[in-house]
Amino acid sequence: MATLAFLFYYVTPYIALAVFVGGMAYRLYRWWRAKPVAAHLSLYPRPHRRWGAFMEMLIETVTLKMVFNAIKISGSALPITAGLALHGALFLALAHHLPVFFHLPALRSSAIWAAFGTLMGLTFGALLLYALAHRMEGRRKHLSVPQDYLALLLLIGIAVTGLHIRLLHTLDAQELPRFFLGLATFHWQPVPQSAGPAFIWHFAFVQLLMVYFPFSKFSHMVGYPLAKMVAYS
Amino acid sequence: MLETFTEVMRQRLSRPLQYFMDICIRCGLCADACHFYAYSRDLAHIPSYRALLVKKLLQSKGNPLLDWYRENHRPDERTVEELRKALWDCTGCRRCTLICPFHLDTGLLVSTARYALLQQGLGMNMVAEIGNAEVSKGEIIDALKEFYVGQIQELEGRLREEWGIPDLRIPVDEPARVLYVPVVGEHAIIPLAKIFYAAKESWTLSMFTATNHSFFVGDTEKAKQAAHWIVQEARRLGAQVIAYAECGHATRTLLNFWDHWFGDEIAGIQRVSVVQLVASYLQEGRIRVREGAFDVPMTYHDPCNLGRNAGIFEEPRMLIRAVATDFRELTPNRELNWCCGGGGGLIAEPEMFEVRMKAGRPKVEQIQRTGAKWVVTACENCKTQLGDLNGHYGLGVEIKGVVDLIADALVM
Repeated sequence: MATLAFLFYYVTPYIALAVFVGGMAYRLYRWWRAKPVAAHLSLYPRPHRRWGAFMEMLIETVTLKMVFNAIKISGSALPITAGLALHGALFLALAHHLPVFFHLPALRSSAIWAAFGTLMGLTFGALLLYALAHRMEGRRKHLSVPQDYLALLLLIGIAVTGLHIRLLHTLDAQELPRFFLGLATFHWQPVPQSAGPAFIWHFAFVQLLMVYFPFSKFSHMVGYPLAKMVAYS
Repeated sequence: MLETFTEVMRQRLSRPLQYFMDICIRCGLCADACHFYAYSRDLAHIPSYRALLVKKLLQSKGNPLLDWYRENHRPDERTVEELRKALWDCTGCRRCTLICPFHLDTGLLVSTARYALLQQGLGMNMVAEIGNAEVSKGEIIDALKEFYVGQIQELEGRLREEWGIPDLRIPVDEPARVLYVPVVGEHAIIPLAKIFYAAKESWTLSMFTATNHSFFVGDTEKAKQAAHWIVQEARRLGAQVIAYAECGHATRTLLNFWDHWFGDEIAGIQRVSVVQLVASYLQEGRIRVREGAFDVPMTYHDPCNLGRNAGIFEEPRMLIRAVATDFRELTPNRELNWCCGGGGGLIAEPEMFEVRMKAGRPKVEQIQRTGAKWVVTACENCKTQLGDLNGHYGLGVEIKGVVDLIADALVM
């Protein structure tokens, strides 16, 4: 058990990062190698054509056009809004990890910052459960394959262990930044204690996610702008 | 089973389709956009499931763990049946592409996969055969010319008498500013003969037709060959404008594919839908119409390939408003408009009639809600389908083209 923990703390993080970077590079290479279609596969109207495909994609994203389209076509804004909120909560929860990697005692001791993290974590977790329930209901149940559930379960695992740390433990302002700086500079530091027993699970799940990411539908993180830009070609 | 399909599909998997295979998260939003799914509630009609079917075939099999994870199994009779449904019961309207957060292109997927399915011998052969005929027509065009010109002269004589315009002309294969490419049938020529005459346009009629059935079955090479006859014709006649008749898929290829297909060969030649051309005549005052000529409640159906897929929304409305007293919009309209259910080549296949009638249900309900008596549109496929729906559901409406309206309301 101790050996396994040692591996997860000091060995597999490097492997996970390498697989993530290499995997995403491979994914991008595969997309780059695929033949483009010799045509404008545009969708209309395209009001700001002169701004280029990238700006179009950005504008459509920030104006939440997909929500309005969903309301007009499917009549319900709930699934798409929940989906977007899930992404928002995820990004904000990630931003809340800033003092984990950097020595920021002011943030670490701020009650507002802590409450913000708790709120984002709980929102993320709740929306993941909604997504799971949604997937198991009606037509989506038949549309889903095991990998769709696996992706959600992995994220739920990360959210639960993360919330365990957030709610039940007070992190030391120096300990975690020191540990991660140690990993990054190959000057290994002792295992952080203030995060409690869930830390190893949280850390291991995140590594698993990094390995899984490029070879799954999670790659839509990079594919999203690329695929969307085709519609403005 | 399905080895040829898989092999061909692998070769022709373009970049947008690779995105589709890799990043579709199966959120299922697209189901609400599909008029086939709307009546059938059949899994095979959900656009993302159509993609999943193809994806499963492309994946390697044999590893039990991976097969479970991907829900993979060796293709069987049921797979073939599902695939047939997923790929032929689609009009390529791209309404699902619009609602998809990633804009994944089911229209492209379906046309590419149809090509692969045809190689496997599981296709709608009629559509492909018409496509082949459109390609080979160019090779025998000289032999056809005399007959064609004779037919047109006969029509010209008839119209001169009917309209009392002794100097009316329908030029064929003559040098002119505008090359007008019709669809099959004199109904595509008659209104334009009148409008071009009124606008004093220098025009000539193409000996080819705009329709391009190879496009429906994803055969880009043949689609290019068929369209290339028209490029050659335009260059030979020194045309500055190529105007396509009211035809959805052909207009989309003209506006959005030709740049890539023909490059420099068509440099300097303007390409428009005839609806755009007639709209410009009216705006520039080259033609005049009797305002409010038709005191009938009417509505406009946005053909998917003209609207959502080529951006022609306002020109037809401008023309209709110029002659109508009571114009009513369908809800939803423009880029969100429901497909009529007749696109994607389905019209050409007799056995698809029943499916078409079911897929047209949302359109029928839309029309009924407006209370319109005339349904105006600008696509040959839509007109045929709407006419069939009209009979099948007893709608009691009349189906008209935008240019028909203008021709009938012209002040000569």
